[in-house]
Amino acid sequence: MDRKGRLAFVPARYGDGVVGGAEAVLADLAHGLAARGWDVDVLTTCARDHFTWENVFAPGTEEHDAVTVHRFPAVVSTPRAERAAIGAAIEAGTPVPLVDQQRWMNDDLRVPELYHHLLDQAQDYRAIVFAPYLFWPAYACGQLAPERTILMPCLHDEPAAALELFRPLFSGVRGLWFLSEPEMALARRLHPRLAPHRVVGAGVHVPDAYDPEGFRQRHGIEGRFVLYAGRREGGKNWERLLDGLAAATLHADLPFRLVTMGTGAVHAPPSLADRVVDLGFCSARDRDDAFAAADAYLQPSQYESFSLTVMEAWLAGTPVVANDRSEVVRWHCERSGAGLCYADDLELEECLRFVTEAPEAAAALGALGRDYVLDSYRTEAVLDRVEASLEDWLPTADGSA
Amino acid sequence: MRILMVSIYPPQRDGIAQYAIQEVRALRAEGHEVDVCSPEPSAAHMHLDLRSRRGPYALARRVAGYDRVIVQWHPAIFYNVPVTPAERRRVAFGLLFAFRRAASVEVRVHEFDIAGAHDGSIASRLTRTLWRSVDRITVHTEGERHDFAEAYELPESRIDVVEHGATFVRRANATRHEARAELGLPPEAFVFLSIGFLQPHKGFDRAVRAFRGLDTAGCRLEVVGSLRLEDPEYVQYVDELRALVDATPGVALHEHYVSDEEFDLWLVACDVVVLPYRMIWSSGVCARAELYGRRVIATRVGGLEHQVVDGTVLVDGDAELAAAMRAAAGREVATAEAWPTGADRAAIQAEVRRRAATRRPPGTPARAEDPAEPLRHLPRLELPPPVSVHTGVTTLKRVVRKLTRWQLDPIVEQVNDLARAAAGAHPADPSGTGSPAPAERPEP
Repeated sequence: MDRKGRLAFVPARYGDGVVGGAEAVLADLAHGLAARGWDVDVLTTCARDHFTWENVFAPGTEEHDAVTVHRFPAVVSTPRAERAAIGAAIEAGTPVPLVDQQRWMNDDLRVPELYHHLLDQAQDYRAIVFAPYLFWPAYACGQLAPERTILMPCLHDEPAAALELFRPLFSGVRGLWFLSEPEMALARRLHPRLAPHRVVGAGVHVPDAYDPEGFRQRHGIEGRFVLYAGRREGGKNWERLLDGLAAATLHADLPFRLVTMGTGAVHAPPSLADRVVDLGFCSARDRDDAFAAADAYLQPSQYESFSLTVMEAWLAGTPVVANDRSEVVRWHCERSGAGLCYADDLELEECLRFVTEAPEAAAALGALGRDYVLDSYRTEAVLDRVEASLEDWLPTADGSA
Repeated sequence: MRILMVSIYPPQRDGIAQYAIQEVRALRAEGHEVDVCSPEPSAAHMHLDLRSRRGPYALARRVAGYDRVIVQWHPAIFYNVPVTPAERRRVAFGLLFAFRRAASVEVRVHEFDIAGAHDGSIASRLTRTLWRSVDRITVHTEGERHDFAEAYELPESRIDVVEHGATFVRRANATRHEARAELGLPPEAFVFLSIGFLQPHKGFDRAVRAFRGLDTAGCRLEVVGSLRLEDPEYVQYVDELRALVDATPGVALHEHYVSDEEFDLWLVACDVVVLPYRMIWSSGVCARAELYGRRVIATRVGGLEHQVVDGTVLVDGDAELAAAMRAAAGREVATAEAWPTGADRAAIQAEVRRRAATRRPPGTPARAEDPAEPLRHLPRLELPPPVSVHTGVTTLKRVVRKLTRWQLDPIVEQVNDLARAAAGAHPADPSGTGSPAPAERPEP
């Protein structure tokens, strides 16, 4: 394998406290390839939060293990009123003229310094990898040097995905990396003239060991619980999950508390509030141990392109109860046999009844999940696929690849 | 006596038509000469589009030759939708003209709409005058009498309560054993029956869900009837009812038009008639069940409470319905169903779906299109971040933010709460329990 040439990975956010699947996948790829000997830069913003885009990290350059991180200030210099108005129209499925789509994209985070950095130095990189497609850095910067740009779209079946605005990105870049077959199928449906593409998946770190009892002791958690880890926000169907759980606990004698970790406000309904344990942002160790201690992991999100947390739950041998509307997670559940899907609150309740009443069968499902992840998403296998595509799409100038 | 009956009429499949033809039969049996005028072509002697502008006046020309005019009243026969004040004026004036030309007018009120009855408008005054011009008004229950009298400022003494089954006669002479043999029902089973048109407000889906588990106690539920209208809502309801029945052991759906004789045969064959109506004024099925001495379990809606005889079990809600059916059967029912064993994901998922389906109201599939979906994806209102590329402006913005926070933050919270409440006002799921929040921009 020819590992000559620098690689740039461009997530909109990177660093401690950043919660986001696309960002995590991209960061893992960057570090994984650096560990294999690649010269890797991360080009990103100074922001941690994707709503405020407040610059909390210092701009400039820093080293993270074998990766060089260049941070550029995130700029939000408009009231974002147009974005809100046009965004509402997009979400409602109203046809939006291209000019409005462009106004929608630009009336939010922008990163002019990053843009100009790439304008100046794109030619110095063998490949520039962007994720996710929805943010300004990928949209704007991804078209600067399309011949060496790889997009990892992390695509969901959301109204914005079909916008004309993104067609040049999806059709014009050197290649696309998808996390799953359903995501690739969606991209093919939305953008018939798709650039060369492959499913590479996402690598999942396998913890050396789990300590579920230690997790319980550290946080004073007794009894059975279900877990949600990630961003607590509407886009992840968080509030809807709470409402569904509240309804389920009213109808059924469920023994579970809901333990949650991540970012965002909880806002539990009153009938559920005393069952919810909010741990906030947790360490990787706590996260892994929590997965192992839980009776089930809940994935309410409809918009998933891979769902790292589902993989982490399965690695811990914990069954998953997931929103049926997520094609990707349903696909994982069906392939692995390790998760149940719910189409509405009633099915959510029945899934939880199953976990309550048949814990051994539920654990047996979870065990299938660990095998599935180890077979499909070991980090090394993913990195092999990534390197193979780099070799095919972006060989070095001397043709040594 | 020459009588004109104005009514929906067979072969149109309709409860009022069935009621009308039985009254016609009874009147003719008494020696009266009865003609029928229906709003659409039917087995009636004449038909008039009574919702047209000329309809009431055409009726006025016909009533003159009769000694009695009996109107089987349902608003849909006379009013165009939407029922505007102008429409109420038109109908009231036209019918008043027609009724005044008749020697005697009796109105059998099966349903009525009291909207606008008290608003003091010309329409309401005309409508009250119309009802005062009627010689005899009949309803099926005391509750309806009270409501109707109050709405149109009539003395209750002018309104008679006529039992729904007053003119009903038996149409089946089979024994229960013979009826079951003819219908293919096992002789030893305890049979619940829900019979009538398959439409949402009849609520047969509720009976199916309430029946869940009773099959293990040797019980059956027979749902018998047919689609009344090719209305999309009704069609979807029947689709869902079929799915629900398929998913519920011990329940059978006999979906076909039921002749009068077969209708009664089912009543004879069953042990208990279940009428889980969501809305009804009075029930012909209930009356016919009483005719055969069949026990009835019914929901306490409309005028049923006043119609039923002693021994009828009236229930409030699905839990009481299920309890009443269990009590009627007198059978012990296993309360906990076993889940599939082992790591058979497909079997467990199918069981989850089946159990949820038995509890889900038909007409609202599990993955129903959600009209509030765009609402849920409205981003949360967030104040713009106090940042700027210009030197010093970020600091200035932060100061402004701090100074105005006490005013702006509650407004922002209120807007987000309103958005969430608005999304929740359109239940996204059939259980009606979801009240999702507005979504923020989705991300992987």
